[in-house]
Amino acid sequence: MKKNQYGLRSETPFFMSVPALLWQFLFLYVPLISIVALSFLRFSQGLVSFSLHHYQSLFKEMYWLIIARSMVLAFSTATICLLAAYPIVYWLIFRVREYKNIFLFFLIVPFWTSLLVQAYSWFFVLEKNGLVNTLLTKLGIVAEPLHLLDTPFAIHLVMVYCYLPFMILPLYNAMEKLDLRLIEASMDLGANQFQTFLRISLPLSLQGIKTGFFLVFVPSFGEFVIPALLGGGKRFYIGSLIEHFFLVSRDICAGAAFTCLCGAILLGLMVMVRWLFDKILR
Amino acid sequence: MRSIRLEHIKKSYRGEVIIEDLSLTIPSGKFFALLGPSGSGKTTLLRLIAGFETVDTGKILLGGQDITYTPINERRINTVFQNYALFPHLNVFENVAYGLRVKKEVPAIIEQKVHKILKAVHLEKHIYKSINQLSGGQQQRVALARAIINEPAVLLLDEPLAALDFKLREKLLIELIDLQSTLNTTFVYVTHDQFEALTVADHMAIMNYDGQIEQIGTPKEIYEFPVSSFVAKFVGTTNILQGVFDDVEGRQTLSIEGLGAFEVQVPRTKQWARPGATLLMSLRPEKIMMRKATVEGFSNKVKGVVKAIVYHGRSTQYNVQISDHHTIQVFEQNEEHFPQEVVDYDDEVYLYWQKENVVMLER
Repeated sequence: MKKNQYGLRSETPFFMSVPALLWQFLFLYVPLISIVALSFLRFSQGLVSFSLHHYQSLFKEMYWLIIARSMVLAFSTATICLLAAYPIVYWLIFRVREYKNIFLFFLIVPFWTSLLVQAYSWFFVLEKNGLVNTLLTKLGIVAEPLHLLDTPFAIHLVMVYCYLPFMILPLYNAMEKLDLRLIEASMDLGANQFQTFLRISLPLSLQGIKTGFFLVFVPSFGEFVIPALLGGGKRFYIGSLIEHFFLVSRDICAGAAFTCLCGAILLGLMVMVRWLFDKILR
Repeated sequence: MRSIRLEHIKKSYRGEVIIEDLSLTIPSGKFFALLGPSGSGKTTLLRLIAGFETVDTGKILLGGQDITYTPINERRINTVFQNYALFPHLNVFENVAYGLRVKKEVPAIIEQKVHKILKAVHLEKHIYKSINQLSGGQQQRVALARAIINEPAVLLLDEPLAALDFKLREKLLIELIDLQSTLNTTFVYVTHDQFEALTVADHMAIMNYDGQIEQIGTPKEIYEFPVSSFVAKFVGTTNILQGVFDDVEGRQTLSIEGLGAFEVQVPRTKQWARPGATLLMSLRPEKIMMRKATVEGFSNKVKGVVKAIVYHGRSTQYNVQISDHHTIQVFEQNEEHFPQEVVDYDDEVYLYWQKENVVMLER
C-alpha cells in the first residue's frame, strides 16, 4: 500500500477520477485531436484525402502580418498590465496594509462581469457621443468629439482593463508572501529603498510576474471580441481570422491549420519569454 | 564612541503606550543584555535603536551623536533578527556579501572579506550552499556573519538563539562572547531567557511589563541583589515571603504571620526599612540548607514537610511546606552518589539559612 507524506494511505479508488478524466477527454482531447486531424485533411469532389495543402496555402497568404499584429498586441497588453499592476500591488501590500483586502476587492469586481459586457460598456464610454467625448466637449477641452473608437488606443485600453485582474492576482499572491522582515534586513544592511526593491522585492516576486505575464499574454494573443468591438473589425487579429475561417468562409480545414500554426507559435513564444525572464531577472 | 543613550523615550502603537519615558545608557564595547518577559517592549526598544520604528518623543544618541531621525540604512547599527530573515533567493556567500554589495564595494575585497568572516563563524564549507540547505544553527551563523560584515558600531541581537536546542544554544553563547571580545563592538542582546542573559552579559537591564527598566547592573548584582520582587522572581527562582519588619537595638527581624520572626539584614541606608513596615523577603532556593537533623550555626531555622521532589540532574528541587500558607522551594546539589540522608515525600525536615543570604525588598 502506498503512503503519502502524512503516512496515510494515498490510494484513492480509480473510479473517483473517472468524471474528471471523461470531461477532460471529451472537451479537451477530442476537440484538440480533431482540430489537428482536420488540418491535414482535404475535401474535394466528395473525396477525403491527407494533404499539407492548407499549410502550404497558409504560408502563401499574408497571414504573417496578422500573426505579428496579435503578437504585438499580446506583448504590449501583458507589459502594460505588468507595469500598471506592479505599483498598485506594491502600494497595496506595503502601504495600505490593513485595508488591502477591501482595495483588492474593488480591483477585482469588474472581473465578475463577462468580458463581452465589459467590452460593450467601453464601447459606450468611448463612442462619438459617449461619456468621454461629452465630458471633454462640455468642459471645452476639445471642440470636436475625438475619434476614440476603432483605434489601437481603444483596443489597448480595454484589453488592459479586462486583463488587469489576471496580472494583479498572481502578483498579489506572490508579494503577500514576501516577508517584511527581509525588507527591514535589507535596509538594516545599508540598502536604500531602490536597492531593496531591485535586490529583494523584485526577485522574490518574480514567480508572480511570470505567472501574471503568461495569464495575460496567452488569452490576449487569441483575443477577438475586443478588437472586433473597439477596433471596428477593420484590422484582423488571429482570433478574428480564426472566427472568419470557421464562421464566414466556412473553410474548416484551413481554419484548423491556422489554429494549429498559431498554437505552435504561442508555445514557441512562451518558451522564449520564459527563457528571457530567466535570463534578465535571474 | 559606540555607546548608546536613550533619553526619555516614548513610544505608543495604535494608542497603546508601549514605552513611556525610558532612559538608558548602554556602555561602549560591552555585551549588554536586555532581559524582560514577552510583551515588555524590549523588542520595540531594539527596533527603535535599529530605526525600524521612530520614537514619539525622546532622543537616541549613538556615541554622542543624535540619530533619532537618521534613516535605517545610514545608522552604523546592524541587526541579527529573531528568525534570521535571511534572503531566500541568495546563497550563503551573497547573503553575507549583501551589505558590501549595496555599498558598491570592489568585488575582490568583497570576496576576501566574506571568506574571512565565514571562516570566523565556521561556515567555510558551506559558502555556496543555498539557505534552505542549512541547519538552524548554521542559518544563525549566516545571520551573524551578514550583520557584522559592515563592521557596525552596535550589533543588535533579537532573541537570536530562541529557535535552537539547548546544547547548541550554550555553544553559540560562548561563541558570541568570544566574537564580542574580538570585535569590541557593542552588543545589545534582547532575550526573555534569563539563562542566556546571565551567561553573555557584562551588563544587563531588566524590563517589566510596563516597558520600564527595573534594574541595571552586572549579572551578579542583578541575581544576588535584586531591587524589586519582579527582578528577584524574573531572574532565577526565589521564595518571596511577606512580613512585618522590626529593628530593635541593631537586631533586624521580619515577623511572618504563622511562622514567627526571622533574622534579616537590611542596609541602614534603605529609607523604607522602618520598624513596623510590611516588607518582602527574597530567599533563593540554593541558599537554603535542608537537613532532617538539627544543625547549629545558622541565624534562621524553620521546620517543614516535604511535599514535592523534582529531580533536575545536578540538583534536586524540594517543595517544603512550612505553614498552611507557605511553601518554600529548596535546591539541593546532588553531590554524592549515595547521600547519607535520603529525603522522601512527607518527611519532616529543617530548613536553615543565614541572614546575609536574604534580600529584603519593598512591597
